[in-house]
Amino acid sequence: MTCLNKRFVSLMNKVLDGEARREEKMELDRHMETCESCRNHFRELKQSTELLNHLSHPQLPFSFTKNVLDKLPAENRHALREWMSRHPVWATAAICALPMSFVMIAAKRQTFFQGKNGEDHGYLLLRVPEDRS
Amino acid sequence: MEYKEKRLIKKVKKGDHQAFAELVDKYKNSVYSICLRMVGNSQEAEDLSQETFIRAYKHIDQFDTDRKFSTWIFRIATNLSIDFLRRKKPSVSLDAELPGTDGLELKEILASGEALPDELVVWSETERIVQYEIDRLREKYRSAIILKYIQGLSLKEISEILGVPIGTVKTRIHRGREILRKNITAIRGEE
Repeated sequence: MTCLNKRFVSLMNKVLDGEARREEKMELDRHMETCESCRNHFRELKQSTELLNHLSHPQLPFSFTKNVLDKLPAENRHALREWMSRHPVWATAAICALPMSFVMIAAKRQTFFQGKNGEDHGYLLLRVPEDRS
Repeated sequence: MEYKEKRLIKKVKKGDHQAFAELVDKYKNSVYSICLRMVGNSQEAEDLSQETFIRAYKHIDQFDTDRKFSTWIFRIATNLSIDFLRRKKPSVSLDAELPGTDGLELKEILASGEALPDELVVWSETERIVQYEIDRLREKYRSAIILKYIQGLSLKEISEILGVPIGTVKTRIHRGREILRKNITAIRGEE
């Protein structure tokens, strides 16, 4: 009754792993036609693996991803980019304000150095002082 | 690895949370499924899945983008589950191969209607029996069987995840399959 010849058990494993050649599969089939214990053994093995294949795959709740993100170390390298995508109006304003401020500073400098009578002190400052005696 | 995933991982390496969220969405249910079948409890499995992704994020610099991200994340999930089992219930798997215990405990548990975790109650009878038998397998057989039959991975991938040669993976699958066959058939025989 109990055959379970090592060779046939290893053939069963090969078949179940999808690695048996055609001749090996035929050899096993031929043996199982006459050997009841091997036939039963192979059927039980197949049934067990089929049960595993049919186990359900439960899904995680939708909030899972957010919960993971909340626990990650703070995102620092992209803080600026993050802020910009969240506040596009302020970001645009800030970008425009930068060249604008240069223009304004430049304009201010010019009026400052020009003085009241329009004399260009700024220009004079850059020159080597002349002897005014 | 596909181009889109490579690009995502580059972003994650720079600290981009949104890119990481896409990876979590893609792999969370596979990771959960591995953890769930490894530990047999949905709450613990959810915690372990979360821990898996947090670890992956923290160690993303160690990930080689020429390799498969799935292999890497499944490896973290499997290792965390095994660590959890060793910490939590060191005695459970010890009796997995003792002869003469064929399904008796399960019958008793089912008859008394207690001792099984609440989560298992919503599962079908067959599923409970199969999960119970998975829980009784030693970790090394259990992980190989789960990756093969629940994740449907190739022997090569399983060998990379478990960090053992393909020959060892085969042996573990054969051995695990044989233990499951014996125990499941014994339960069915008693019904």
